[in-house]
Amino acid sequence: MTSLFASLSFTTPWILAALAVLPVVWWLLRVTPPSPRRIVFPPLRLLLGLGGREETPARTPLWLLLLRLVVAALVIVALAEPMLGQPPKLGGSGPLVLFVDNGWTAAHAWDARQAAMSDALTSANRAGRPVAIVPTATALTPNVSLLDAGSALRATRELEPQPWLPDRARAAAALAKIHFATRPEILWLSDGIDQNDARKTAAALSAIGDLQIYGDAPGKGPLALRPAQNEANGFSTIVFRADAHGSRGGEIAAIGSHGENLMSAQFRFADGASVATARISLPLEVRNETARLEIVNENSAGGVQLLDLNARRRAVGLVSASSNDEQPLLSDVYYLQRALSPYADLHKGTIGEALSRGISVLVLADVGRIAGADYARVARFVADGGVLVRFAGPRMTENVDDLVPVKLRTGGRYLGGAMGWASPQHLAPFPDSSPFRGLAVPPDVTISRQILAEPSVELSDRTWARLADGTPLVTAQQRGKGWIVLFHVTAGPSWSSLPLSGLYVDMLRRVLALASGASPGDMGSGASAVYPAFETLDGFGRPHKAPADVLPIRGMEIGKIKPGPTHPPGLYGVEGAQIALNAVGAKTFLLPIRGLDLRTYSGSASIALEFPFLAIAIALLFLDALISLFQRGYLSLPRRLVAGAGTVLFLAAIVHPVPSRADDAFDMQAALNTRLAYVITGIPDIDQISKEGLTGLGQALRARTSYEPMEPMGVNLEIDDLSFFPLLYWPMDPREKDLSPKALAKVADYMRNGGVILFDTRDLSLGAMEGPNSPGEQTLRRLVSKLDLPPLEPIPSDHVLTKTFYLLQEFPGRWVGGKVWVEALPPADPNAGPRPARGGDGVSPVIIGPNDWAAAWAVDDSGRHLFEPVPGGEDQRELAGRFGINVVMYALTGNYKTDQVHAPALLERLGHGP
Amino acid sequence: MLGAALPPLLVAAERLASVVSLGVHGRRKAGMGETFWQFRRYQAEDPATAIDWRQSAKSQHLYVRQREWEAAEAVWLWRDGSPGMRFKSDFSRTTKIDRASVLCLALASLLVRGGERIALYGDGHGPATGRAPLRRIAHELIEQDPQAGGLPPDAPASSNAQFVWFSDFLSPFAEIEKSMRRLAHEGLTGHLVHIIDPAEEDFPFSGRIRFEDVPGSMRETLGRAETVHDAYRERFRAHAEALSAFARRLGWSYLAHRTDKQPELALVALYTDLGGTRAQIRRA
Repeated sequence: MTSLFASLSFTTPWILAALAVLPVVWWLLRVTPPSPRRIVFPPLRLLLGLGGREETPARTPLWLLLLRLVVAALVIVALAEPMLGQPPKLGGSGPLVLFVDNGWTAAHAWDARQAAMSDALTSANRAGRPVAIVPTATALTPNVSLLDAGSALRATRELEPQPWLPDRARAAAALAKIHFATRPEILWLSDGIDQNDARKTAAALSAIGDLQIYGDAPGKGPLALRPAQNEANGFSTIVFRADAHGSRGGEIAAIGSHGENLMSAQFRFADGASVATARISLPLEVRNETARLEIVNENSAGGVQLLDLNARRRAVGLVSASSNDEQPLLSDVYYLQRALSPYADLHKGTIGEALSRGISVLVLADVGRIAGADYARVARFVADGGVLVRFAGPRMTENVDDLVPVKLRTGGRYLGGAMGWASPQHLAPFPDSSPFRGLAVPPDVTISRQILAEPSVELSDRTWARLADGTPLVTAQQRGKGWIVLFHVTAGPSWSSLPLSGLYVDMLRRVLALASGASPGDMGSGASAVYPAFETLDGFGRPHKAPADVLPIRGMEIGKIKPGPTHPPGLYGVEGAQIALNAVGAKTFLLPIRGLDLRTYSGSASIALEFPFLAIAIALLFLDALISLFQRGYLSLPRRLVAGAGTVLFLAAIVHPVPSRADDAFDMQAALNTRLAYVITGIPDIDQISKEGLTGLGQALRARTSYEPMEPMGVNLEIDDLSFFPLLYWPMDPREKDLSPKALAKVADYMRNGGVILFDTRDLSLGAMEGPNSPGEQTLRRLVSKLDLPPLEPIPSDHVLTKTFYLLQEFPGRWVGGKVWVEALPPADPNAGPRPARGGDGVSPVIIGPNDWAAAWAVDDSGRHLFEPVPGGEDQRELAGRFGINVVMYALTGNYKTDQVHAPALLERLGHGP
Repeated sequence: MLGAALPPLLVAAERLASVVSLGVHGRRKAGMGETFWQFRRYQAEDPATAIDWRQSAKSQHLYVRQREWEAAEAVWLWRDGSPGMRFKSDFSRTTKIDRASVLCLALASLLVRGGERIALYGDGHGPATGRAPLRRIAHELIEQDPQAGGLPPDAPASSNAQFVWFSDFLSPFAEIEKSMRRLAHEGLTGHLVHIIDPAEEDFPFSGRIRFEDVPGSMRETLGRAETVHDAYRERFRAHAEALSAFARRLGWSYLAHRTDKQPELALVALYTDLGGTRAQIRRA
């Protein structure tokens, strides 16, 4: 409450001085007697002269006096234009410029900016000042012009934070080009972040006009999330902030690709610290499902880190023939371990052990021949999609199995040895078909020994890396769903210096990416490769379909590009092989604006209380008038009660405009029994026929089947819940009104979830009008054209609808001969032979026909039929009733009858089975 | 208007009259009547149907049965129709004028049943008996000018008749006294029926009130009405007593009737005053 009063401010506070008059009002009200009650009194003559002896004026009761004083006080306060919240203090009458930082750094508290802008515009509107709005984060140079406050308000509503950082210098320059008649007042609604340009911007703006700078309150500044480290048991994340003010906590969540929250972890900034860490522990399988990490409730692009395939972590099995634990620097496994452990979970051991750990990549270092049962298991592993990476070694020079991509020559090739002519070879640039393309080849990598492939036709296709002289260094082949990759050198440095270079790590990472299903052609960043935007983030960190003006990223730009208007943060590339561009990089940091005088945002728009105050005052005056009338005897008790109740109702009507229909009774009635239902068309005679028709059908069902329906119910599509009814009868009439989108959605849901709607176009009654343009069909088309109707066909003779209860081949109602349409069945399987009945999965959501069935079924209270069938005869009526029973059975039992064709087979199996 | 209001008024009056049973008072001489008076010898001018055969059979002569002549008296009725009579306070369920009209008609009905001749004072018709004058009187009572004065007009009346005066008697006492003297001088024996609204007698008011009379021409504002309560009641009582005392001096009767009381009691008392014979409320 105290804070409420503290946040109360007045636009014209001097009017409050009028409150000093209140005691005078008090005195006046006290000395003025209340108006007397008026009473007609015939023996007045007897009364004359009796008064006057004790003419002390009756006093207004204290409570009434207080009521009137409150009214007076409310009016005075209302005239002082009270506001809840502190609007920016604006002076002057010149133009107002809103210089708004709208990068992602402002997104976390965009409401506060909006409120500040709205407040400023409200007061500018009062003063009739022109307004210019200059956003600093824009795709193009901002086009600054002076607006009136109304269109400025619209412009600010459309203003949104952008997922990149603002360019203040450009915006200030754009503003400087505007010529102002008088010196403008500039409000810089800053994000509080200094990108080394705050002072310059302030100076530039001060040169243009009178500057006020707003910033977030201390400790409320933006937070940002650096790229996460994918560690052995989870993500390690770093959150940072600009102002190290106070301690502040929060939560980081790992979000799956469907928006599901996989895991979250707390972080807390110590007082004075600008960096906090949080560790999200997740098992590897779940971790690889993570699509993004975000700071919960930060709602800014900087608080989101998108993860691409490179961020996935793989389980890798490492198997080496030689165990050289005592001399790690000579062990192949040691180098593999060092290279892979940041990106993968490693499992060492035998092949059998490794495969049992659910790995996706198996690395074999110098395993010449995979023996026995292991061979079959590895072969199956590869066929099932595993990636087998083999490194050459002394054991591979002699006796190699066929789990290699190319046929190998025995022996090896020695380069640059003491006795050799040739010097150690360098690497050639990677071919374009290779997943390694785009990786820089360090000049100091040399190969001194390798194994050689037999020359063959496929060799060059299977080569991913070559030496400078063209001999293959890395070969690969797809087997089944998986890959076999062979490095023709050892995993350790004994044959080459490759394992000592950074290239080794990069190559292994690319190979790991194979395990996620990427094809080599998609991988790697050829300098000319192009990654179109797949999904981009807006300033609030929400993913959107990429807008058209986003440029694709070129392969050579990856890692260097900074998010900006042309490349907003998001996912780039084709599905399955995307790369993520994040607003915040590993080296991004935020500095607070220092040395400038910042005012803080109030947080919420100030609310003008003038009208609420006046409304309360008027309501109290109304009450006072009622009381006065009562006191003077103009209102008697019952009428007073009515008036009071009327007042209450009036106020209630203001507060609750439309009480929604309480249809619990409807729901209970519909839910407790399975009922037939018809759509209330709003046309009384048609609704009446529908009701009578379903009543008649219900009687037939009751007499002939085990289903005993209760009274049919009318259903208002706009209001009622449809889910209780297996079948809806819906007559068509040109007078029916279109459905609201909500009702359409409800009907679509009903059809999707297994409801059956029997559309009756009823138009054979119109004789010659039969056909696609008959009124009934036109109505049908008009009403349900927005629905997703399945493909239709006339009821085929083997449709299950012809067999659910009675065997029928025609479906007359009151009229005969119209075609009845249902959802098209899947085509009959020619191999299955003739089957007595066919049905799709589930039921046809619609049955459409023109035969006016309800009229044929309709009975009155005494059970007499109401309409004569045409051309007539009890046979037709009987068939119409049978069709109704079939439809109801169809709606209730679905394709159960089609399953019954298996009954003989099942019985046979039961009889003769073991 | 007339047709609409008349039946309810008449019905109410008849219902009221029907609860009172009365004895017809005989004139102690032969005449038109129900009660036997004497047998006398048949004379030539007597109609043959007048012969009492049973009595004649006892002797040689023919006898005619004569009944007592039940002489009807003329009763003049007058009801005050001034605007003040139309007043009804919250403490009563009927206006004074309605109560006065009902009493007036009920009395008229009773009188007609008793064979008396009745007339409405001032309407230009002489006293008559039967249902016809009753209806006429009802018409007159309803149609009366709402702005009529509170005192009986100066109209001819047969002497030695009764005069029943229904009013709230709120005119200045001197004027009432003058009217009473004039009527008494004409040989009428008066019966004052003082119709009082309970609020007029009890004065149940308090607080700041502006009192107005019915035409709205006079008003009196009292700051605290409860302070004049006793003084007013004293004045009202004095007024009624003065009225009653003057009536007694003229040999008239005076009856006060509050509209919140049952009208039957007033009717019985009035009828007893009027006829001097027994009348009682019939017990069902």
